[in-house]
Amino acid sequence: MGNVKPIPHCAAPRVGLFVTCLVDLVRPQVGFAAIKLLEKADCTAEVPLAQTCCGQPAFNSGATDAAAGLARQVIAQFEPFDYVVVPSGSCGGMIKAHYREALANDPIWLPRAEALAAKTWELMSFLVDVRGFRPSGVELHTSATYHDSCAGLRELGIFAQPRALLRDIKGLELKPLACNDVCCGFGGTFCVKYPAISNAIVGEKAQAVAATSADMLLGGDLGCLMNMAGKLSRDGSKVRVLHAAEVVAGMGGGPALGEEG
Amino acid sequence: MTAREEILGDVGRALGRTAWDKASIAAEARTLLEAPDAIRPSLPTPSAVESFLQRVVGPKVGATVDRVSSLAGLPGAVARFLAEKKLDTKVALQPTASFTSLDWARAGVMLHNEINEGVVVGLARWGIAETGSLVFHSAADTPILFNFLPAVNIVAVHAHTIVPHMEDYATAACSVGSAPRNACLITGASGTTDIEGSLVKGAHGPRDLHIVLVDDAATAGSLEPGT
Amino acid sequence: MHAASQSFMDRSKAALSNPNLKVAIERTAGTAERKRSTAIADFSEFAATRERGRRIKDHVIANLDYYLKEFERNALASGAKVYWARTSDEACRIAIDICKRAGAKRVTRSKSMLGEEIGLPNALLEAGIERVETDLAEHIIQLAGETPSHIVWPAMHKTREDVAALFKAKHNPPPESGDVADLVRSARRQLREKFLSSDVGISGANFLIADTGALCTVTNEGNAELTTTPPRTHIVTAGFEKLVPSIDHAFVLLRLLVRSATGGDFTQYTTFHCGPKRKGDADGPDDFHIVLVDNGRTRMLANGPKEMLRCIRCGACMNHCVVYRQIGGHAYGSTYPGPMGSVLTPVLDGLAQSRDLPHACTLNGKCEEVCPVEIPLPSLLRGWRDRSWREGLEPRLMRAGIGGWAFLARHPALYHLGTIFAVKWMRLFRKGGWIRSMPFAGGWTEYRNFPAPARTTFMQAYKAHRSENSDDCA
Repeated sequence: MGNVKPIPHCAAPRVGLFVTCLVDLVRPQVGFAAIKLLEKADCTAEVPLAQTCCGQPAFNSGATDAAAGLARQVIAQFEPFDYVVVPSGSCGGMIKAHYREALANDPIWLPRAEALAAKTWELMSFLVDVRGFRPSGVELHTSATYHDSCAGLRELGIFAQPRALLRDIKGLELKPLACNDVCCGFGGTFCVKYPAISNAIVGEKAQAVAATSADMLLGGDLGCLMNMAGKLSRDGSKVRVLHAAEVVAGMGGGPALGEEG
Repeated sequence: MTAREEILGDVGRALGRTAWDKASIAAEARTLLEAPDAIRPSLPTPSAVESFLQRVVGPKVGATVDRVSSLAGLPGAVARFLAEKKLDTKVALQPTASFTSLDWARAGVMLHNEINEGVVVGLARWGIAETGSLVFHSAADTPILFNFLPAVNIVAVHAHTIVPHMEDYATAACSVGSAPRNACLITGASGTTDIEGSLVKGAHGPRDLHIVLVDDAATAGSLEPGT
Repeated sequence: MHAASQSFMDRSKAALSNPNLKVAIERTAGTAERKRSTAIADFSEFAATRERGRRIKDHVIANLDYYLKEFERNALASGAKVYWARTSDEACRIAIDICKRAGAKRVTRSKSMLGEEIGLPNALLEAGIERVETDLAEHIIQLAGETPSHIVWPAMHKTREDVAALFKAKHNPPPESGDVADLVRSARRQLREKFLSSDVGISGANFLIADTGALCTVTNEGNAELTTTPPRTHIVTAGFEKLVPSIDHAFVLLRLLVRSATGGDFTQYTTFHCGPKRKGDADGPDDFHIVLVDNGRTRMLANGPKEMLRCIRCGACMNHCVVYRQIGGHAYGSTYPGPMGSVLTPVLDGLAQSRDLPHACTLNGKCEEVCPVEIPLPSLLRGWRDRSWREGLEPRLMRAGIGGWAFLARHPALYHLGTIFAVKWMRLFRKGGWIRSMPFAGGWTEYRNFPAPARTTFMQAYKAHRSENSDDCA
């Protein structure tokens, strides 16, 4: 099982699930997949009901004070948990890497931000690196390719973990994506502030996906997945796009992005 | 206030100081050069000369090489190269003392003074194995333009002047005096990829570099420049 | 010319609709990306060298006053004349004065982005002094009347046919054919005579060596030496962040620079220039003048972005930038394009004029990953966004949008109600599972479909499940 942290044989860790605003708004099944996986990994998964947004849109737009306000809210809601798990590298990165920047001048909240950062994990790296989890008895007979979202890759080091999880899905053929680590052009508000440039970037990404001949595109960040799925669909592609967590949780047979009536 | 005073004042204010400790700055600068092998490529062989030769004929330098056992063999090496390249056996010489006593006529090499777009034979003061570079220092006997105006540059270098790494050159150069006007580290022939990324040799400087290694053990082990 | 009348949006759209540009970008920046990757793979000590390079630069920045004075002292001792310029105008004035005192009619220039930054080409034009660019790419864009589009390959946007047409019109005699080799030969011919008949040679500096007062230039063509050796006068204009303590420190940075820029290990011509010619030297300039240029660098030191003073101008960031790779260099409308340009330009041109640059970025972090001196570019870009927000430069709609979103997010009950209605509203526009167009979403839907949200939000469904007291969340 690789380098697994010793799991104490006491009560299952209490995980606070930060679902992310995009999952909440557009694709709830990612949140339910996360809960299912956390429970399979012997954790109790709770969803603080007053959660909203991690503040990244404000932070990346330069509205640092507004982002700091949201950061304090998230910290207060989630610090009671043993772990905070996020099915997104970019929101996970916001909490783990950037809350300390947003609260750099706040002597009261900065240490609390650091404490929260220390126990915040992106979902797939939590499952693999902390819980030593692998799916068992999960089947999906299709071919898939994987896009590495930039924040997850560069801020949180997520690369091997999704692949380790997907490798254990029976029948799933993983095909490598050329330029898998090249940005898809989403960039949060970038894609709507500079749509023509974003389109050019995602156009190349869509071509790379098509070139794999995979039936399915997977990834760990819904923003990127929506961007790529939206472009693929506009181009008439039949590639089906899901969040990797759905596949690992055994929900890969469900409707892909854009397939819900 | 002069611009100088303004700039230094602003810099000092930005750094929050008006004075500094020269010794501790120098010490910190020295620390930054510690453990040099950890921050530079290692040579492919234990011999600086062999590593140099490997590098200069490789694609990253792209020079041609010949080997003679003493400087007396240089005219012959030059003649050989010119014959192979089907070039006129007319060369200009760097005005270095050790060239004047060589028997050029015997090798069938005519001497003239045409530097521009011609063939020039020079003598490098040092070679650097790490990069495959030849080093020239401007001097009375080393016109810098002799390395840039010709179409073809043939450069002799004594084996005992080839040092392993760039820093070794700097140490050797320091030991022979203060900095010259120009210290040129020449690594291969002139080239450009400015048009569509296509490599073309001879962009302004020479398009061909031929290196003649003088394998004399005369002052082997010393870092003195060849004479 | 920076096409200041056009906006970044206009320029980038124009760039995107030019298929030749995309081919040119892939051929240069794309190739540079691959070559760098190979060069780094071959250099197992690269990571350690990169860290050392950062520390060297930070050490110089932290002691900039000391190193400025040391450099000046040693340069003067070597026989150079040293000048200090606060602004780009001052730097040009100094350089032009030197040219006039030297009675210069013709000046040759080797490539210097700093020279572009301070507007030296225009200053020479206004002074009526003939300017001859000697770097092949700079020669091409001089003939075309354009500005550089990349800091290492200034003419990367030009096709072979473009260059052939230019040279046919402007070279005398014209090139023998349109082949790249013949074009280069023609430029060599044209410029050889200029090199040898120039009154003044002007160069930049890749490094300024504090303990000798020397500068270092690196080229693959040899034009820096041909520019600075024949004329009687050599002028250097250099940003003072180019300082390094000694030649050995320069070597550390050179190992990073060339691999990061072109994927080579070392440029063909790495030359140190120290003072004018010595008595007895066979060639070299009689006069040597060094102009140390501030132009906002002290501001960067005081107010940030301080780390940008580490930059060694390798161009790796723009080669790896998904935005640069689509729009090329001219779209940035600045001396410096790409990520490093987006950080520098607000310093040089003011934030109000250049706020698009730090915003037109996905913050994906590849630039920081490849920067040989570990400049935290995404952080610095976000820093400009923060400043732009504080200075009220952000468009009203954006302020309202972000402000509104943040307000809602701080009021969860309102937020969750809002999301429920938003989902209902969005679903009105769906056809099957996709939304092809929707009010206020033109930016997205112009080019992409938007996946129709599910019937309920996650929070709605989760609360419903919890109230059913069920463990099954599938």
